[in-house]
Amino acid sequence: MVHVFKTYPSQISALSDITLEISSGEFTFVAGPSGSGKSTLLRILSCAEKPTRGEVVVDGVQITHPDFTKIHQLRRRMGIVSQDFKLLRDRTVNENVAFALEVTGHTRREAKGKASDMLRRIGLKEREDAPILALSAGEQQRVAIARAMVNSPSLILADEPTGNLDAKTTLDVMGIFSDLNHQGTTIVFATQFTGLIKRFPYRLIPILNGQVSDGKKVDTDEVREVKAGE
Amino acid sequence: MTFFLQYVMRRAFQNMMGNLFPNLITIGIIAVSILIFSTFTLLAFNLTNFLKIWEDKIEVIAYLKRGTPSSEVEPLLDRTRLLEGVEIVRYVSPYDAMNFMETKLGGQKNLLQGIQPALLPPSFEIQLKKDYRNPAKIDEVVGHLRETAQFEEIQYGQEWVDAFSALVHTLRLTQWILGGLLLIAIVFITSNTLQLTISSRREEIEVMHWVGAGPGFIRVPFYVEGLIQGLLGGGLAILFLYLLHQGLLLHIPPSMQAWLAKVPILFLPPETIAWILLGGTVLGFFGSFVASTRVLRYK
Repeated sequence: MVHVFKTYPSQISALSDITLEISSGEFTFVAGPSGSGKSTLLRILSCAEKPTRGEVVVDGVQITHPDFTKIHQLRRRMGIVSQDFKLLRDRTVNENVAFALEVTGHTRREAKGKASDMLRRIGLKEREDAPILALSAGEQQRVAIARAMVNSPSLILADEPTGNLDAKTTLDVMGIFSDLNHQGTTIVFATQFTGLIKRFPYRLIPILNGQVSDGKKVDTDEVREVKAGE
Repeated sequence: MTFFLQYVMRRAFQNMMGNLFPNLITIGIIAVSILIFSTFTLLAFNLTNFLKIWEDKIEVIAYLKRGTPSSEVEPLLDRTRLLEGVEIVRYVSPYDAMNFMETKLGGQKNLLQGIQPALLPPSFEIQLKKDYRNPAKIDEVVGHLRETAQFEEIQYGQEWVDAFSALVHTLRLTQWILGGLLLIAIVFITSNTLQLTISSRREEIEVMHWVGAGPGFIRVPFYVEGLIQGLLGGGLAILFLYLLHQGLLLHIPPSMQAWLAKVPILFLPPETIAWILLGGTVLGFFGSFVASTRVLRYK
């Protein structure tokens, strides 16, 4: 990302002159308080938004002015996880994970099998036929991670994936992300929990008011702490 | 490819079943719109058919001036036969005319009592070649006949033909204007229902975007949904029209049945039905295309 700016039509500046590089296989925290620009940065990386100015390259692909007919090819090389899980409530656990494969051209049987394997890896095999609403928040987030992972992406963009989870579940989910990173997946993890950053000493990119800050300003009262498990 | 088609069909039906009520309403509205258009098409088709039968039977009658010497009749017949567009010419003497009238009046022929055949003018009944049995060509032949001094009056039901042609023309015009308006309505309705379907599937579509589903996987099921709505709407319209047509035929009063044996009330020909069904399907597709272009932008 080189000199990236993002200004919304309402003249609100979300990002201002962001320059950063994340290497392949890295685990990076993008940390900052609510409204600091973390989500905008991740949305630009996932091609959900275009920067107003600047240049963005993801996995060797220039996405500053993305070709919207080819974005899906790049998206298959990334996994996206969000705070609100975005699971399909009328489907089972397996169907949610298999959905990501089905809509990218796998047969139903193939998708079901691969989803089952992924759920085993993530410790939810025994619950694969359960409806999504029967799962706890932590389990739902693990399903969302399984769905993001099932296409074997090289990059995971996680936008506050632990934002709705209790402290213990947060640590469980962080464990999964750490494992994935150890297996070579690049992870960009947006969070406002400084506790997480302290506990998992990965690279930190602090964001404040749309700019990369020196890190000290991020650790303010606005940033919530992970109380348990510390 | 087979997998893609299976996927698309499954998704389209799932979408339709998931939004059954709006889909049924849309199909119903499309059916009513196409039924209105098809009714006008059927009316215009039958009137055109009637006009053709009428034109096929059309004859020009040229009344000779009273006192035309009989020696002039034969050469005049020959000259008339040579006119362009004329197929058969038959001389009708005053006596033939009287016989014809008596036959037509049947039991009431006593009405003609006291009328001398000599009062009736002799005439030529002129049958035209097939290509000349239309208002423009008839005018051409009649123009030539009028140049002949021995003819006093020429009749060929021009006003009726013209009025009927104008009626058919107006009907066709109404059919196409209505068709145009209904076309816009169908696109609007399909597009709105599909926006509803798309909006009820917003989360699913968002996930599809996230996981890298191709535009085909996201959009084509909605296109197919529009196609199915259009096809079912068109099919229902044709079915209703057929039932109406059959119902009408069953309720024709006996007095009209003999007349209708000569001018049958036809149903739409298969190629017109195929065009209407294709039109409905294309309109449904276009509606879904408009909806998906509006709300399914890749993001």
